[in-house]
Amino acid sequence: MSRVRILRTLLVVLPIVALTVCVPLVNRIEPRLFGMPFILLWILFWVFATPGFLWGVGRTEGRW
Amino acid sequence: MNASLSLGIVAAIVISTVSFAFFSIRRVKMSPHEYIVGNRSFGALFLWVLLAGEIYTSFTFLGAAGWAYGLGAPAYYILAYGTCGYIIGYFLLPAIWRIGKERNLLTSPDFFVARYGSRALGTAVAIVQFVLVVPYVTLQLSGLQILLKIAGYGTIDGRTAAIISFIVITLFVFATGLRGTAWASIVKDALVIGALIFVGIAIPIQFFGSPAAMFDQLLRAHPHHLLLAAGAADHGEIWYVSTVLLTGIGFFMGPHSIAATYSARDDDTLRRNAVFLPLYQLVLLLVFFAGFAALLIVPGLKGPAADQSFMLVVQHFYPPWVLGFIVGAGALCALVPASALLLSAASLISKNVLGDALGIATSDRSRLLITRILVVLVGLLSLGLWLTEDKSLVSLLLVYYNGVTQFMPAFVFGFLWKRTSVWGVTAGIIGGLALAAYLAFNNLQIGGANPGFLALALNVALLVGVSLVTRPPVEAST
Repeated sequence: MSRVRILRTLLVVLPIVALTVCVPLVNRIEPRLFGMPFILLWILFWVFATPGFLWGVGRTEGRW
Repeated sequence: MNASLSLGIVAAIVISTVSFAFFSIRRVKMSPHEYIVGNRSFGALFLWVLLAGEIYTSFTFLGAAGWAYGLGAPAYYILAYGTCGYIIGYFLLPAIWRIGKERNLLTSPDFFVARYGSRALGTAVAIVQFVLVVPYVTLQLSGLQILLKIAGYGTIDGRTAAIISFIVITLFVFATGLRGTAWASIVKDALVIGALIFVGIAIPIQFFGSPAAMFDQLLRAHPHHLLLAAGAADHGEIWYVSTVLLTGIGFFMGPHSIAATYSARDDDTLRRNAVFLPLYQLVLLLVFFAGFAALLIVPGLKGPAADQSFMLVVQHFYPPWVLGFIVGAGALCALVPASALLLSAASLISKNVLGDALGIATSDRSRLLITRILVVLVGLLSLGLWLTEDKSLVSLLLVYYNGVTQFMPAFVFGFLWKRTSVWGVTAGIIGGLALAAYLAFNNLQIGGANPGFLALALNVALLVGVSLVTRPPVEAST
């Protein structure tokens, strides 16, 4: 696989893995931020990082 | 007095949304393609509004708040699965759009006809999707009734008001088609965001000082509410992982989502939407806040009443005009998706059953007319089914998500694997649907995992196995 393809695969797989199989690993309350438990912060982080990842995928495909 | 003020505001919101959409499409020339897939002309922003309008239904909001209130942490799955759905959609939707454009497709079953060269399969898929979608329309009616009942302060049971607004929306779809739904979505999205900022931020601030203080109090009162149960427990970690994956895979498989996909101007429009739609998930976080706040303010609600939790807080503690605005936003969350669902259900019948299978109304003019008449008939059918309060509707809803997910392998393998045959796809869909229905009706879970997974695995196994032993499709004629 070329470097670009590896990068693209990572950009797709990382957020999906983080939002699914990783969640049991972060199933705890502390540390908290704005009162929110860590598990919720983790999920929120990946939800709002996903546009960045998908934008990056588009970049590796030369779309924008 | 209170009831007439809040219900009056709800009525004003619904009527002005419908009028706004009417006004916006007044110069559009109607054809089946314009009516069903907006002439494949929607740009990035317009499509974003339409997709958000379809995806975030009254049940997303009432249900998400109900989950946050009643179950706590399992509600997080709603944030995650949509996001996974958008990631998959980034790749899937442009591929569906491309074949739709090349072969001039109108409906989701049209894809099956185009890719697998079988009208019979397309018709069968249309009938199955129709059966899955109609209960989903009735679900919106239930959501509507709950909201209107709250807006009436218990003075009306909400049923008559729900019926009236549903008839309004059916006539609205009759007249305007998909483009009208998209314009109505603009109003819906704006109002919903406003309403949710109020209930998700203002309520926690007013009652607890800040959202953070609300969480402190919640953790003291319910220490385990914000964590997933370990392992294979009910709504535990295994359930979470399997459900996010499964529902993420099925995210865009509803026939109304495929119609919205076809309506894009080009494939990059769809990619841009997949990139930006996860940001809309922020509104779900606000719904969670509202549900958590309600748990502390009005504890003890059980079952379906939990879905009304934050609405009851608004009803008890805020003036009627605030309630009117929030219920108005909620009513649009039922009506806008209902209009998209009605339109796609009607087009399944007019195109794939009447047109392709029976050869009725195949000219543009008669197809447009028949689709419009069917919109009204499907609307009446949903209304009738809803009024009978038939228990099988609830069962069908249990299957809706796992049911539409069973069409996913036909798309993915159809794009990626040349050998995928019509028999493989047929066997996969039948096996997957049968197992999904069996597991759902008998409420079976295996090792805490979402039962839809087994159905999807069987589907893929059958698809691959049968495709290997049957003839690959003759490269379907263009």
